[in-house]
Amino acid sequence: MLEKILGSVLKFLPLIFAVGFLVPVIAQGTEALGWMPPFGLSTLTFALVIGGTWGLIAQIKGRWI
Amino acid sequence: MNVQTSDILPADLSEMSEAQLRKLENKIARKHSGMFPWLMVSWAFGNLAFWLSLWPLVFFDVIPLWLGFILSTISLSLVYLPTHDAQHDIIARPGQKLRWLNELLGHATSWMIVSPFNVFRVTHLEHHRHANDLDLDPDIASKAPGPWSAIWKSIKERQPSGTRGANYMKTLERVGRTDLILLAIAYQLGFLAILFTLAWSGYALEAFFLWWLPYHIAMTYLNFFLSWAPHNPATSQARYGNTRSWKSMIGNIGSMGMQFHIVHHLHPYIPLDRTPAAYREMRPILEARGCDLGEM
Repeated sequence: MLEKILGSVLKFLPLIFAVGFLVPVIAQGTEALGWMPPFGLSTLTFALVIGGTWGLIAQIKGRWI
Repeated sequence: MNVQTSDILPADLSEMSEAQLRKLENKIARKHSGMFPWLMVSWAFGNLAFWLSLWPLVFFDVIPLWLGFILSTISLSLVYLPTHDAQHDIIARPGQKLRWLNELLGHATSWMIVSPFNVFRVTHLEHHRHANDLDLDPDIASKAPGPWSAIWKSIKERQPSGTRGANYMKTLERVGRTDLILLAIAYQLGFLAILFTLAWSGYALEAFFLWWLPYHIAMTYLNFFLSWAPHNPATSQARYGNTRSWKSMIGNIGSMGMQFHIVHHLHPYIPLDRTPAAYREMRPILEARGCDLGEM
């Protein structure tokens, strides 16, 4: 059971990392810079879009950069 | 080039047999080993205390985050080498009185660069046994044709589809240490759990600039100077050919003493800070053996 859970976590690690870390970094970084996201988005929504997309790409391609 | 004259070596080595050269080499190596490595022990625990202190210093605005980032990057770049001496039992061998200190140093500091000490130890010793072997050297992912490609490869190999982690896991499996695979995963997940907790508690930038980014910069630096540079082009597996000495543009301290890494592969029980002196004394023997000594 533990192996199955661990396997799933490891398999989706890029997406998990994106939501768990990248999104708050982008959100708080945006706030720290005093920058307003476009289209009236909140900083968190903006971060979810950018971070989530990047995480999805990394998940599919196996590479962040 | 500074050549230290040795009171051990005769003036002319050309008539000496392999056994005689080896005997002299070992005599020089023993001269530079066996002493307690005060520098490495102080370095390890001092650096640990220094890095931990950065967190309250930044959190309580004693120092700005940008300064914390720079200091953390330097600090994390300095974590590996004391554990490296401990991996080779240089602080104390099994059975010696201070063996507990050897193990404490390793375990108490390796987590800063997100790896169990025993994973470092087992894989590093396999690297020594199989240096530059395309199938068996766990560090072979560092092999690259030039310095810029070495840097890029280091970054690339740490991504989800990279081979560095997979090579380490393969090595652990091969030597029957699958227990360490789980431990390594636990360390990585623990690292992420701490980062996520800090990030979603409002400290994402602190987590990013005090640990995540400094860790990756440090690993790139370590892969370059400890793994790529001393073994480049990483084609020979011969005892006197699998490592080289080389002149670093950023000097001995900037390259963490790795200019003399050939001495370490030949005599891994010599403490890091003694390898330059051992190299200078041993140089005529290494030259006689046709080692790649660069401009050193």
